[in-house]
Amino acid sequence: MKKISKYLFLAAGIVFFMSACDKEDTLSTEDFKEYEPQGRTKYIITATPVGTTGIADYLLTADDVSGGSISTSGNGKEQDGSYRYYLTHKGRFFSLLYGQGNPGDVTTYRLTEGGKLVMTRFFQAETVQVLAKVQDELLLMKVPRSGNENASFYRIDALKSRVNGEKQVNIVQLAANGERAHFTWATQVGNKVFAPYMSIKGCCGDAFGTAYPDSSWIAVFSYPDLNLEKVIRDNRTSFIGNYFNNGLAVTEKGDVYGYSPASAKNGSQYTSTKPSAIVRVLNGTTEFDQSYFFNVREKSGGYNISSQMYLANNKMLLMMYDKPGAFNGNLKLAVVDLVSQTFDWVKGVPESVISTSAPYNNNTLSDDGKTAFIGLNTPSGNWIYKIDIASGTFTPGMKVEGGTITAITKMIY
Amino acid sequence: MHIKKILLTGILSILSLFLYAQSSISGKLKDASGAPIPGVSIKVQHGTAYAVSNVEGYYHIKNIHPGKHTLLISAVGFKSQKKELTLKDGEQLQLNIDLENSISEINAVSVIGRSASQEVNRQAFNVTAIDAKKLYNSTLDLSHALDRVSGVRVRETGGLGSRMNFSLNGFTGRQVKFFLDGVPMDNFGSSFQLNNIPINLAERVEVYKGVVPIWLGADALGGAINIVTNTNRNTFVDVSYSFGSFNTHRSTLNAGYTSKTGFTVQVNAFQNYSDNNYKVWVNVADINTGDYYPKQHIKRFHDTYHNETVIANVGVVGKKWADKLLVGITLGKNYSEIQTGARMVSVFGDWHRRGDIVMPSIKYQVKDMFVKGLNFSLTGNYNLGYEQNIDTMYRRYNWFQQYKQYNGKGSERERSMYKFRNNNGLATANLSYQLSQRHSFILNDVFSTFSRSGKDELFPNDEKYDQPKKVRKNILGLGYKFDYSEKWNTSVFVKNYSQRNSYSQSYNPSGNWGDVAYKNQESSFNKVGYGVASTYFIKPSLQVKGSYEKSYRLPETEELFGDLINLEGNVNLKPESSNNYNLGISYQVNIRKDHRLSFDGNLLYRDAKDFIRPMLNPNQTKQTNGNLADVTNLGVDGEVRYSYKQLFTAGVNMTYQNLRNNTRFEDGQKEQSPLYRDRIPNMPYLFGNADASLFFHNVLKKGNTLTLGYNFLYVHAYYLSWPSQGDEKLEIPRQFCQDVNLVYSLANGRYNIAVECKNLADNRLYDNFTLQKPGRAFYAKVRYFFNKN
Repeated sequence: MKKISKYLFLAAGIVFFMSACDKEDTLSTEDFKEYEPQGRTKYIITATPVGTTGIADYLLTADDVSGGSISTSGNGKEQDGSYRYYLTHKGRFFSLLYGQGNPGDVTTYRLTEGGKLVMTRFFQAETVQVLAKVQDELLLMKVPRSGNENASFYRIDALKSRVNGEKQVNIVQLAANGERAHFTWATQVGNKVFAPYMSIKGCCGDAFGTAYPDSSWIAVFSYPDLNLEKVIRDNRTSFIGNYFNNGLAVTEKGDVYGYSPASAKNGSQYTSTKPSAIVRVLNGTTEFDQSYFFNVREKSGGYNISSQMYLANNKMLLMMYDKPGAFNGNLKLAVVDLVSQTFDWVKGVPESVISTSAPYNNNTLSDDGKTAFIGLNTPSGNWIYKIDIASGTFTPGMKVEGGTITAITKMIY
Repeated sequence: MHIKKILLTGILSILSLFLYAQSSISGKLKDASGAPIPGVSIKVQHGTAYAVSNVEGYYHIKNIHPGKHTLLISAVGFKSQKKELTLKDGEQLQLNIDLENSISEINAVSVIGRSASQEVNRQAFNVTAIDAKKLYNSTLDLSHALDRVSGVRVRETGGLGSRMNFSLNGFTGRQVKFFLDGVPMDNFGSSFQLNNIPINLAERVEVYKGVVPIWLGADALGGAINIVTNTNRNTFVDVSYSFGSFNTHRSTLNAGYTSKTGFTVQVNAFQNYSDNNYKVWVNVADINTGDYYPKQHIKRFHDTYHNETVIANVGVVGKKWADKLLVGITLGKNYSEIQTGARMVSVFGDWHRRGDIVMPSIKYQVKDMFVKGLNFSLTGNYNLGYEQNIDTMYRRYNWFQQYKQYNGKGSERERSMYKFRNNNGLATANLSYQLSQRHSFILNDVFSTFSRSGKDELFPNDEKYDQPKKVRKNILGLGYKFDYSEKWNTSVFVKNYSQRNSYSQSYNPSGNWGDVAYKNQESSFNKVGYGVASTYFIKPSLQVKGSYEKSYRLPETEELFGDLINLEGNVNLKPESSNNYNLGISYQVNIRKDHRLSFDGNLLYRDAKDFIRPMLNPNQTKQTNGNLADVTNLGVDGEVRYSYKQLFTAGVNMTYQNLRNNTRFEDGQKEQSPLYRDRIPNMPYLFGNADASLFFHNVLKKGNTLTLGYNFLYVHAYYLSWPSQGDEKLEIPRQFCQDVNLVYSLANGRYNIAVECKNLADNRLYDNFTLQKPGRAFYAKVRYFFNKN
């Protein structure tokens, strides 16, 4: 009997021991002490190790990106989820989850006084296709590509990291052609929000196909009410911007320039008969300027625009597909002057560029405003390049070892 | 006269010789519960006469000299016996023998490492068999029973009926094939799967690690699981019902009847129901602001799962023209609510799925067709069942079950009532010929068809775009087995894999709205694989096995055409290929009679190419698959078991897998991949099980047994992402899980009562990042088993 109780005691001990040391696998925030920013610069580079799939980028930080090297090996913050997108606003770095239609955590990071990137808050938001800074808020848009006829707009308080308001917009009614208005991006213009869209079928195994490949549209919304005020239309080129890509740039003068890749499809066929081009809406107006048409395809010798990055002083960097007529594949870069419509292929760039860092979050100018930074991913490695804005010359800066550069942002602390 | 005398003497002596030759012993072998025992060898000591009992337990030894004899009776799982008897001239002795279970096999609830079936283990393939009968009193389903086998890891996303991911020696998903009585289960749909089939349906489960024998056919690359159902020809009834935590109710009915004329009816029916409303720790988002209420301990509220399935077979057995001819049907349905997305952050309150299975089938087997030793079998089935995804509520839920209702036609995730049928058909044929004791040949063919059609009542106009997608797959194998002696046998085989996919794509020829035309596309593969497997018994209790195979896995229909929910098809997928090497050793030893030990060890090496790996599609809206990586795996697993008399048994097994990324240069890259030779992430690589059982015999009454069992699971922590990358990393923590159970069997197993506690210490369990599994739970089960011979 004594022996049995001894064994029972031992068994109970084992059970207890096994239960004593469980760990949790949830994310947790760190305490943050407020301080007065000193005007120091920190760059946040997000990179995905080459060869990984289905995992989010690593967050790397550097004081200077004009030289040296950095690696994701044994370095950087891991994030949950498969795809993430970034915005910096109001001294905060927001990492938004793209979770295949599911809601997910938005994680908010800040720099401590010592320059360490820490996660200070997380809150829940939807998977969105559009993210933009508007006034003191972030504007997020969830745009269903099939089924649901309503896009959801969310206004996020950038300081408090929480949802301020929500709005539903019927995108089938907006398109008014039997298809859906699929917003490509949104940009604050004055006190309004300009949201270009593509018309898509949204069904039938050809969700992104359209029967209207030769028109451009920009929906104009009031802010913060998000009421639809107008749709600006044109038929000289195809839809503006691209899926998950910012199509508009606002110059110092307040004029709005928009590019079209002319990549409208039906099934597997590219069906637009119009050229890839840049059009403009002058400051204070809500009409396309019919006197302005920058036919980029013609100027470049048959190339199509993939995406854009506004540099400064009417200079825009264009990412072009590297073969005439192509709508996918490697990239070739050009700098254009939007006003004088000059077009120049850039110099100093590697032969073949697979992808660039995200052009939608371009606050990565140097402190003097003369140099811009861009990440170029090539078959022989990935570098951050310095762009001399005045001359359009590229020179290599920091090398990012092993990781595909997805975004570069700048924060002041 | 003299001649007459001689003749008479001659005739008499011939006659006596004849009579003498007529002396025989026959009878039936039964176990303690009265069930027949097949495959038992009965030998006459100091002689050559012997017999093996048949399926009904009968044996018959002819041509025995009259006189004193000793019969030696031995069977795996039973105590050996000696019977002394005296046989008279010409006597035809009837001798029924009852065998007692041997110590190591009496265990009522633990998986015994050594297989119940001698035949299975004598194969040259690396195989572990679970004797399912030993688990009939437990509330396990097949997936959990498999989880206790070394080398196997089953990962679940939640409770009963939840999505599971099966990994066998580092191979996962579609690389491992499942079979039911040798028929591939590919086309059974969600209503009849490993996570809802109760253990009572199976007689045993064979786990082939690596090289798969030719008679299983199909394109298993990394191994196979063959579920062998009860093939007992008797009249029997086995009914059980269990209930427990989270409003879980499960019942099974297995019954069979075979008449003297060979007419047979078999019915297997089962049902599972659970609310799965176990408590989880979550941060709950405010329904309006998205702000979190941290660390709430709350119940899941939208996770009900239930399924009901009936399998009925009618036919004849034991005819000259058909050892077995069965016509059957499998009918079933399932319903499952979806509580979360890939992370606990996404909560759903209305989205659900349902599916059914309507599958007629035929089985035909004949032995000694035309000539002795030529056996033929044919099976066929066709699944008419559908699958449906229903997401029509335009709401957003949080973990407090609060929701926001929106106007208009929306959904929680993607508005759908899409209903589709895959119209899968499958036929297998197997022809084997035993030329002599040493040489046998086998020819196996598995043919399958797939033709998808579906529609969504919410979007009736989309139908015209939905063109059928078709796949035809054929795998033909030829094998030769050389049985040199009892000690050594070797198999060699060659397989031909072929697949033809035809589908059409819609496009708009004129560019006008609504104008649709179709283009027909076709793709096909043809590959040849081969292998060899050999085993040698150094001593009767010491066996070594070795095998090698060059194998292929053809892309699955879902990988080619998508699942119409989250997976986009990639019609350009190539077959995945692998070189598999296996080495196994097993040894049994007795120490001073009462102490018995068995050791099993396996070593394997894999070199896989064109791994079919999931990735996101170009606009990152859905998942798709690509031939991306090369992977190597060097793995070891081992098991030690010990038993003492009929009182105690214990075992422990461990598995270690060293899966490494062998892709040196990623597609289009000139720089060496930073992940070259890194460990494959999000995959358990070190895990094990331990179990112990105590037996108390003749408790309260003779023939009643009380069993106390304990099971312990350990899974080492592993990283969600690549180990070499980053310095602040996400991890799936180390897991412990302890289960205890108590089984009381009455009347030699006719009535059984079991109580179980799963996850005794209420440990936090996660198989996937942040997806919590149930905590402590209690279950009870009653079972009745009746068997008439």
